[in-house]
Amino acid sequence: MRRKRIEEINHKGRKSQRKLVIVSMISLAIIFNSCTAILSTSNSVGSSFSALFGSSQKIENKITDPVRDDARLAVLWVGHATLLIQIDDKIILTDPVFTETIAFISKRLIEPGIEPENLPDIDVTLISHLHADHLSFGSLDMIESKVKELLVPQEGLVYIPNYDFESNELKTWHTWEKDGLKITSVPVLHNGMRYGLDAKWLDKSYTGYVIQYKGITVYFSGDTGYEPGTTIFKETGEKFPNIDLAFLPIAPIHPREYSKGRHTDPSDAVKIMRELNAKKMMPMHFDTFAESYDTLGEAESTMHAVMKRENLTEDEIILFNIGEQKTIIPK
Amino acid sequence: MLKLRNIMLRRILIVYSSILLLTSVLFSQEKIHHGSVTEPDIYPSFMWATAQLIPSPEWVTSADGLRFGMRWQLTPLLYSFGINKKLSPWRYFIVEPLIRQSGSVELFFTPEYLNLEDKLKDKWLFRGGARIYIPLWQRGEYMSASLAVSYYNFNGVNGISYEGGIYLFAGILGFQTTYSPSFTNSEWIFTIRLRYF
Repeated sequence: MRRKRIEEINHKGRKSQRKLVIVSMISLAIIFNSCTAILSTSNSVGSSFSALFGSSQKIENKITDPVRDDARLAVLWVGHATLLIQIDDKIILTDPVFTETIAFISKRLIEPGIEPENLPDIDVTLISHLHADHLSFGSLDMIESKVKELLVPQEGLVYIPNYDFESNELKTWHTWEKDGLKITSVPVLHNGMRYGLDAKWLDKSYTGYVIQYKGITVYFSGDTGYEPGTTIFKETGEKFPNIDLAFLPIAPIHPREYSKGRHTDPSDAVKIMRELNAKKMMPMHFDTFAESYDTLGEAESTMHAVMKRENLTEDEIILFNIGEQKTIIPK
Repeated sequence: MLKLRNIMLRRILIVYSSILLLTSVLFSQEKIHHGSVTEPDIYPSFMWATAQLIPSPEWVTSADGLRFGMRWQLTPLLYSFGINKKLSPWRYFIVEPLIRQSGSVELFFTPEYLNLEDKLKDKWLFRGGARIYIPLWQRGEYMSASLAVSYYNFNGVNGISYEGGIYLFAGILGFQTTYSPSFTNSEWIFTIRLRYF
């Protein structure tokens, strides 16, 4: 069923590639930066691009009440890096993107895993960095009434316009705390610009987060690369020795030479998981937007191959479908 | 003709260098942290300066039909009412796209080349004015609009212009229409506004 859906989307994508090339040429992707859109200017568009003007793939039977009374830790994958995390009575939302496109350019392939109006009140919303596929003003407008507080990396407030909710910066290794919920900004390997030229002065505006509440510890990397020899993940693992679950990106895989140091593939993600000493890992940041050279399903199948090679079980690497909710730690 | 062109080029170079020097001085301050807020450490770069040289093509009405022109734009001062209230709303010359398009008022200076006269030295219009940007979609990043009023000088003749604009892609691409009631035969200018920071 999933394979058929993937084939349908890939077919749709091939048909509309020509249309997308024209749009991409004027897309100003080099300026209006999503994590990988910058690639589109120097190369051709990716093979997984879907119809730019078509609607995204529907998700049947979406969850309408995501709060689980039977769970201590539950996760709903909304798509890309958007995760609805429940730890006991606390709700955390990461990098919320509910829009049909990223900055007009990258089309959503599969609709969001939950309707914004069905979100519960969110104790804290985390923004990992300022790229358009992680910080969406339209999406924040959609969920404005649900959000109590927004945290962004250092230097990040400049691209958070005025909303009804409180917004604050969190410097690396600093901790925000409220009612026992602790969020710590932790270092990752990426970049923080939004419009290109601002890379000159926004050199700290990207982060990962460690979330702690009532003995449960969760790691969210946002976007990160992996460099052999880097110590930041080991250091994070040492400071937070009981990470129950790590959310790590596994795409874009291609082109590897460009993505190295900025985006992890499944193999890199497993290395980070081990350096963090995390008990479980949930792969994310794949098969949601048309913004890479990967084919749909490639990240997931590569993840399976890496799991086999590394003797990792499905209990350790928990793959979600978009819209799926799983209880990681039951009550 | 060649001598005149050299003089013009030298003048442009002097203005360009002065702007770079002025902005360098203005932005030479340390990055400011107050509480959990970091003011962006904006400073002029070669890329920014080069981007300012990119002209916006335009067409001006004349007795002989539409004539081609080009427009450059500078923002000596901008007040953003769209920026997060914890941060300074003021910008000088360098303005991030969101800070402008999410709602702002700017003072602008615009040299324009209008192909209306025979001699190169007579083809230049200089304009100064104020413009307000209004966000329309996705906090102005997807779409915004502007209204402006300006005062121009063209070959010693002065006048007032009114302008409306609409912008896409964080203001990088826009369309402006300028109406100058006392600019005989050239009341209208249609501009494709290209602007990056």
